[in-house]
Amino acid sequence: MALRTSRSTELARIAAEAAAADASSVRLRLVHGPAGAGFQGLIKPFPDLDPPLHEQAQWPSDFWTFSVAGLAMSVCAWPAAATVFSSPFEVGAPRPTDHPDTFAYDGFSVPNPGFLNEPNRRIDALLTLNSTHWAPSYRDCLVTGVVLARTCSLAVSRGQSPIVHLHTPVSPFIDQQISARGDGSLERLRDAVGPCVRVSVAVNPQEPTARLAFEQGLVALAEEFGLGLKLNDRRFNRVPGEWFTIRGFDRERYRQVRARLFPDTPMHLPKHAMIASVMGPARLGMAADVISRLSANGVGVLAAAVSSVRKIGFVNLVLPLAEGADLAAPAWSGQWDDGVKLIAERCRTFDAVGADHGEVAAYKVALSPPMPCSYPRSSRRTGASVTGRVPYPLWLRWDVPNRTVGSPLLLSMVEQNLAAYAEQTEVAYAQARVGRGDMVRGRAKLVVLLAEPPRDVADAQALLNEVAERVQERTLEQLSDARLVGPGQVRLRLSPRERWLTYAGISA
Amino acid sequence: MRVAERPDSADPFRDLRALIETLPVPSAPATYTQREAALGLALMDLSLRLEHVPRVAEHLTLIDRGHMTRSVSVDVDLQAIAGAQRRRITTGSSLWIPVSRYSRSDLAPVVVKDSTGAVVPRFTHRDSNRVTAAAFVRLLSMLIDAHPDVTARDTVVHKLRHTHQRSRWLLEAAIAELVTAGSLPETGIRTPLDYALLPALSGAPGREVDARAVRDLALAGLDELWPADARLPFAHLLRLACSQYMLVVLLDAAHPRRFLTWDAPLLPGRRPRAPIQRLVQSLLPVNREFVVEYETAIPRSVGAYHLTVEVNEEVSVRRFVLSSDVDDDFVQTLRQDVEMLASASAGAGVGVGEQPHRKLLELELQGIASRLAEVGRRRLTDLTNYRRYMAERHRSLGVAAPALLGADEVVAALGRGDCSVPVLAAFAAHYSADSMRHLARGPLAGEALPALAAGIRDYQLGHDITTDNDPRENGAHAHWRHPPLDLSPHSTAPVRAVAYLSLADEAPALIEGITRMVVGLALVVLGIGTLLTGGPQWLYSGRIVPDSVPAQADAVVAVLLLVPGLLIARLDLPSTHSVLGQLRQFQRTIAFLSVAVTTGLAIAAGTVHTDHAITRALQAGVAVLGFILVCCLLEFLARRARRRNPVPWSDRLPHWLTATAPRPRRAYAPDAVFDARGEV
Repeated sequence: MALRTSRSTELARIAAEAAAADASSVRLRLVHGPAGAGFQGLIKPFPDLDPPLHEQAQWPSDFWTFSVAGLAMSVCAWPAAATVFSSPFEVGAPRPTDHPDTFAYDGFSVPNPGFLNEPNRRIDALLTLNSTHWAPSYRDCLVTGVVLARTCSLAVSRGQSPIVHLHTPVSPFIDQQISARGDGSLERLRDAVGPCVRVSVAVNPQEPTARLAFEQGLVALAEEFGLGLKLNDRRFNRVPGEWFTIRGFDRERYRQVRARLFPDTPMHLPKHAMIASVMGPARLGMAADVISRLSANGVGVLAAAVSSVRKIGFVNLVLPLAEGADLAAPAWSGQWDDGVKLIAERCRTFDAVGADHGEVAAYKVALSPPMPCSYPRSSRRTGASVTGRVPYPLWLRWDVPNRTVGSPLLLSMVEQNLAAYAEQTEVAYAQARVGRGDMVRGRAKLVVLLAEPPRDVADAQALLNEVAERVQERTLEQLSDARLVGPGQVRLRLSPRERWLTYAGISA
Repeated sequence: MRVAERPDSADPFRDLRALIETLPVPSAPATYTQREAALGLALMDLSLRLEHVPRVAEHLTLIDRGHMTRSVSVDVDLQAIAGAQRRRITTGSSLWIPVSRYSRSDLAPVVVKDSTGAVVPRFTHRDSNRVTAAAFVRLLSMLIDAHPDVTARDTVVHKLRHTHQRSRWLLEAAIAELVTAGSLPETGIRTPLDYALLPALSGAPGREVDARAVRDLALAGLDELWPADARLPFAHLLRLACSQYMLVVLLDAAHPRRFLTWDAPLLPGRRPRAPIQRLVQSLLPVNREFVVEYETAIPRSVGAYHLTVEVNEEVSVRRFVLSSDVDDDFVQTLRQDVEMLASASAGAGVGVGEQPHRKLLELELQGIASRLAEVGRRRLTDLTNYRRYMAERHRSLGVAAPALLGADEVVAALGRGDCSVPVLAAFAAHYSADSMRHLARGPLAGEALPALAAGIRDYQLGHDITTDNDPRENGAHAHWRHPPLDLSPHSTAPVRAVAYLSLADEAPALIEGITRMVVGLALVVLGIGTLLTGGPQWLYSGRIVPDSVPAQADAVVAVLLLVPGLLIARLDLPSTHSVLGQLRQFQRTIAFLSVAVTTGLAIAAGTVHTDHAITRALQAGVAVLGFILVCCLLEFLARRARRRNPVPWSDRLPHWLTATAPRPRRAYAPDAVFDARGEV
């Protein structure tokens, strides 16, 4: 038995957090709906909770939102008092909210101290599924499903590691040419979203062989499908957002594989999609189980967001609705096995052989009603088209004391401040949680469409820098003026470059 | 590994099994309240991390050769404790705050005082045991509730949770007993079962109500809840709980910044066996040093740690170095990465039987090289500080100009497993100068990797050193600071530190007084001989001068007895139990030997009546005194050599430091080892 371990302290921390009478379970609320509805419905007090959250409702310990193709999903979690035990995880029926087509699902979970991964090393990988702007056809969605399933299975079979985050689509990253690299402090302007998968896997630092085996598996997968592959640059003093290119995207091979695997599937954009959120106590292999089973049922994946909230595993998938499927299908929640059948009915776009062979698993699933999709106008590579009127990403990071300003409120403030400079603003992704020192730490990616169209790439870079700096200062002023947070207690950084968020730190 | 690791103590699951087999099966659940469990878990969490303790200072006083007093003072910052945690440890307007952990074998009472000198209330061991047991029982219940099988009927976990609760109560009782009573003996008689000859099982299925069935289900539950590959975190927590106590004090929440101090129980020293070395040190003029090693554990979140040592005024601190393993996790991971890459490059495979992709190999090598360069930079800073410290001690220990290494020479040296600090420093310089851009095609990629991994392991690059900065001769102080950039940010394991302290009898030392005494005695004997024989020829000539026998033997005897007696009375010969007594053991021996010589001569003068005998006695006496004088001179030479020794000969100091010595030497066993880590 190795004497040195940090997992025992993580176990003690989880148990200590969950031991008090008022925090021995986790309440959560999941909201599915069209993008842009805001977060008001998310942090309303629970109507029929015993005991009710009341004033605590606006201080969730965890907050997570994901928005893509005009559909949005948000989750909040609160520590709450325990109720009579019936099962480790429960999710309620869909409840309509004040916004149209928006449904909330209230859930409950027991603490899950058996899932420990804190001291692990992380491998971040960026898989590129296409070099064009993000406009996935039905066929692309099916390939994405297969790639996600294979990636998640690799993490389990070779890395013996859980998925910490998995997102698609994400902002693509293109290396600068040597002639344009300068001193390396700048980077090419990035698209807000692109046909890429970003996956972060927590590997045990004691098993480097498993890590290399997983990476080698990713390389083999990328070669098989012609995907581009970048891994996080793990040289000392490198930060998240810096990538090391392993191989570039091979368009011809990708097209061949896509045509070979799914020859008859249509090549146009899905017009409607629905969100499926699969939840359960976080376990190794959960994402692989879920995505593989859907993929085996001939269901494609338009977008995915996998992570865990207070040790509850979430696999959120945006699934393209099959042509001719019932657009009036209602929101639904229930057992995973029933959910798979329902999803297959609505979203099957390919007749898979030997469909639905998955094992019975105790996950719960929440399905949104079908919603219309919208796709961003993106340029092909750099984001600077002739008009420059394309969405650009802005990254946000914040550290605020708990119970001072809630993450949804903070994001709304940033969005409002951006409105002066942007024609359209959307929170594409945000995640915040209460951590060490009772501080809420969060990261977000906002997508902005500048009101004043930039002339060229350099102009766009300069504009984005200026906007980010102004909005950052304005938000900090507002926080200070409203006396929400004491002076010096808040750290907030908004930047058009992801790696500028954490100047110091190590990725090793 | 050269720095000795303490062998791991027994697996607590073995103890749990033994207790499940022997404890009476409970017929009702344990009565722990949720508040007790919350308090116990919060205290356990806080005591493991100690994030609210930004500074620790320890003051050690060596009272004799085997005992040390230890006074600990800590700064406590209650604001570092999160609001949710504070609610769990609040009682009235005060908070229960763990400030340290210590071994259960230390049973002396500890009195904690604040900066005003007022005694601070403490949590009793009984209460501490009870809340810790409640915490583990609660943790057990959480693990059962979150287990995947908890809703699957007829599984072991489902039975434990819903239908066969006596087995769960037994499991809870076993955990509570282990936490309350501590670990079972590792060997010998452990439980009542060791005394009983139980009848063999009949093989027929027993009833579910039988104790045997209840115990079997509890044992099965143990395996189900903690399979062998996933029991480490819980086992580690349980082992800490049953081998250590928490020092928990009650502090007023209105004063968030506090200063606390307490006298820890007297620390007994361990004396490693080294009979030949001890004999040599006692009998030969080797300028004996008294070497003390002090082992301690510093909480990972502590920013500053001060270690002060004080010894008898007549003893001087010759060397004081503190070495901690703060970067060890980082270096171990680096070594494992190099080993993994070595086996993958050698075709051992990465699970798929092929060589790693070239760009993957480059990424791995770049990651390894950048980390190795950082380690090289850090250790070079340590080595520079150490050399400055040595140069202050002795002018001859200044730094010589280093040999300059080219990029190829550096890589070749690393490929031979030479991870000494100069090589790593040169590597860091070349890496920073972009000389290591393409490593996958270079010589570092292939066969050099196994030797590099061995070098990283052997040189103990994860251990830093801090040197003495105390101007006193009989005191030492080391100020260890947490590195501003933590290389192991996820680790919460305490930093282990070893202080190496070498004590010596420096000038004005006893040996100088003894040398003067021996010279004086030799002159007295020479004078007596010369006066009796009428000239100095007796000393070097074999001829016997007639009438050498003293006419008044009583006077000669009186001189030969009184002079040494007076001289030795003026010497301060300490007790052998003290450190000073140990340091002056050889000096004592030669002082007594020289007196024995003169006493022998006095006896000869009083009893011998022939010229031949008295001349030979005087010659023998002068020869022995001359020999003693040579020993004294050798002792001076040995002291000079020891003072100029650039690196202490200890295996507790990192090998990268000891390897800088001009000649490799065998490490000496310390005279006393004090362990304050509280891990036993």
